[in-house]
Amino acid sequence: MSPGGLTTTSNLTFGLALVLYLAAAVASFHFLAFRRRGVLAAGRAVAFAGLAAHGVSVVTRGLAAGRVPWGNMYEYASVLGFLIVAAYLVVIERAWRTEEVRGFAIGTAVLAMAGATLIYVPPGPLVPALNSYWIQIHVVLAVLASSLFILATVFTVLYLVQDRRERRSAPVAVPAREPALVGAAGERPEDYAPADEETSALPAGRSSLPTSAALDRMAYRTIVFAFPIWTMAVIAGAIWAEQAWGRYWGWDPKEVWSFVTWVVFAAYLHARATVGWRGRRAAALALVGFGALVFNLVVVNTVIAGLHSYA
Amino acid sequence: MASTSESLYRSLVSVLRMLRSMRTALVLLLVVGAASVLGSLVPQAPTAPGAVADLFVTRPFLARVYRAVGLFDVYGSWWFTLTYVLLLISLASCLVPRTRALVRGLRPRPQPMRELDGMRHFAEAVVPEAPEAVLARSRTVLRRRRFRVAAAEPGLAAEKGGAREWGSLLFHWSLFLILMGAVYGKGFGLRGVATIVEGETWTEAHASYDLPPEEGRYFTEGMHTGVQLRLEDFDATYHSSGLPRDFVSRVEVIEARGRPAATTEVRVNHPLTVDGLKVFQQGYGWAPVIEVRHDGRLVAGGPAVFVTDAPNDQRRPWRGVIKLPSLDPQVGLAFRLLPDPLAGVAGAPMLEARNPFLLWRAWRGDLRLTSAQSVFRLDTTGLEPWLDGGLGLGETEELPGGIEITFRELREYTQLLVKRDPGTGLMLAAAILILVGLVPALASSRRRVWVRATGANGAGTRLQVGGFALQRRAAFEEEFDAIARELSKVER
Repeated sequence: MSPGGLTTTSNLTFGLALVLYLAAAVASFHFLAFRRRGVLAAGRAVAFAGLAAHGVSVVTRGLAAGRVPWGNMYEYASVLGFLIVAAYLVVIERAWRTEEVRGFAIGTAVLAMAGATLIYVPPGPLVPALNSYWIQIHVVLAVLASSLFILATVFTVLYLVQDRRERRSAPVAVPAREPALVGAAGERPEDYAPADEETSALPAGRSSLPTSAALDRMAYRTIVFAFPIWTMAVIAGAIWAEQAWGRYWGWDPKEVWSFVTWVVFAAYLHARATVGWRGRRAAALALVGFGALVFNLVVVNTVIAGLHSYA
Repeated sequence: MASTSESLYRSLVSVLRMLRSMRTALVLLLVVGAASVLGSLVPQAPTAPGAVADLFVTRPFLARVYRAVGLFDVYGSWWFTLTYVLLLISLASCLVPRTRALVRGLRPRPQPMRELDGMRHFAEAVVPEAPEAVLARSRTVLRRRRFRVAAAEPGLAAEKGGAREWGSLLFHWSLFLILMGAVYGKGFGLRGVATIVEGETWTEAHASYDLPPEEGRYFTEGMHTGVQLRLEDFDATYHSSGLPRDFVSRVEVIEARGRPAATTEVRVNHPLTVDGLKVFQQGYGWAPVIEVRHDGRLVAGGPAVFVTDAPNDQRRPWRGVIKLPSLDPQVGLAFRLLPDPLAGVAGAPMLEARNPFLLWRAWRGDLRLTSAQSVFRLDTTGLEPWLDGGLGLGETEELPGGIEITFRELREYTQLLVKRDPGTGLMLAAAILILVGLVPALASSRRRVWVRATGANGAGTRLQVGGFALQRRAAFEEEFDAIARELSKVER
């Protein structure tokens, strides 16, 4: 296929994926409202079809440009959306059986892709500074960790909503804490969950969402998985910067904000082991981390001048 | 005297105790994050001096306030240093006792038995064997499951998932290693920019750099290598759209240590490593060879390095000057170079040399060379405009008074960043240790199991097993059940 044909294919499948994701998200919300299992199953099939179309879009984009398909902001946002949906559908929903949150997860990917359409550029070559095999390591790690952080943010927001709802409806239901046998110093349970561990992730009673405890645990596990990947992305970025610009760290705005993101999520992980910071305060930290992540992606690339201004 | 030093000691202890709390560390961590944000919102003098200067023009009051608070150099400011040093002290005061405990726990010691039936997981059975046999078997079973087993009369205490603590300590201590690498690399480091015109040779020495190089506090003159770099050729290539494709300097390396010369390419993303130095492609420009003769005698003839005021806008001409102080009156020549005048006239970027053209203007009077001044500009206060004109490649123009200007040749020059950073190896090692520590610190979970074996009334043993997990408690349930089943199973 000619580069023009590939570009057209990429753009058409991108649009198709967007429509299918939207349909899948609507189906998921329909399930939340009317609890019809059939709609949920159909939504899953539609979401997978969207993922397949999106995969074709990403691959043909790379073929059209003759390089990796994550060389500018449009492509980055597209891959970000792809990974959000893929990580959710293929890993999280399969492992944790959390169909109720599917609409929110896919809806976030739709937002990322809608953002991508605003900054569309035709496929083109890379500037020399980006032309390195490190683009395959650094950017892949960064976009993967970002997609997971974004999913964790979805779970965190739902946790806060559900937590509020639960505290309103059940004022006396204080779950039992870990028994007092954690005596020796430094033996605090670090994945302390505010409610009982064994609670099912499936909706309890009237609420159609997972319990706040389950959502909190989902957010935590996702961040625990994403944090080392983000760390690797920052380290890979430093090694690349050393090779391309002659210094591994120069407090370039992109570096600053990825450091801030790292610091805030590190604080989140520590907060969960700190009395008085668990639960909603830790969740607030996760949201701040998400804010730093998005700022880095949107504002640093477009508004603040720096070595990473690729918009 | 004694009481003041005692109270000083006491307040020091209380400060340290406060720093040791996780809450303080958490707040300090967030403060470091917030402080570093400031440096991305306010232009920083070390990286963007132009933007700082602009702010003094556009918003002088704000700029003065920023300067007073040190916001133009956040990452070098005393208060930023203070916050992260406090954080590191806090971290160390937490890590030291944990490390000590870990080292002490390397050899399993007898532990007190605990109350088991109140534990989250508990199982009980009566088995026909004697208590000693049950314990011996339990020890084997738990060791096979890679628990660390210690005696706890009348039974055993076992623990697994120590990698979490190991990993956590390794991760956190490696952060100190990162800082050490940065400090060491800066202290013994060197960083400077070398400009080399095609065909010329540059020798690595303090005086050879464009500006005095940044040398670390412990960098000594003897650490300059004397490496010689001869630029054979510089090549900037572009895509048809005008976007840059690559910048390549072909450099002949003549090492000071007498090693044979080698020719290599320095490109963006492909630095050259030689004698502990790393050489990076950083910039480039035009260097026309302009000969000036006075009464047939050559008074200037080398390549003149030209600069541009807008590195990202190749539609602009490049500029350079030649100063002729030996003439009377003194003469200064200011040039504008159009590498590709046809493209320039059409408003397109002049990326390659096609019929290059030099515009010149001659000034007469006093060059004022006794005061410091730029080599790229004329100080026109003591000069008056005299003549002007233009020259194609190979052309000569005659000026009154026996002066001849010839545009002999158009060469390019390269700008190379030359760097020595002996800390990078340490940094890389620290980064690897950070990852090696981080993964088990987050992924593994600690769980403990106690086994209690007492003689049952009559014959056999009353076996009690209790345990809990500090992380992933739901997953531990299955593991505990399997252990309890295995322990109460009688071997034949």
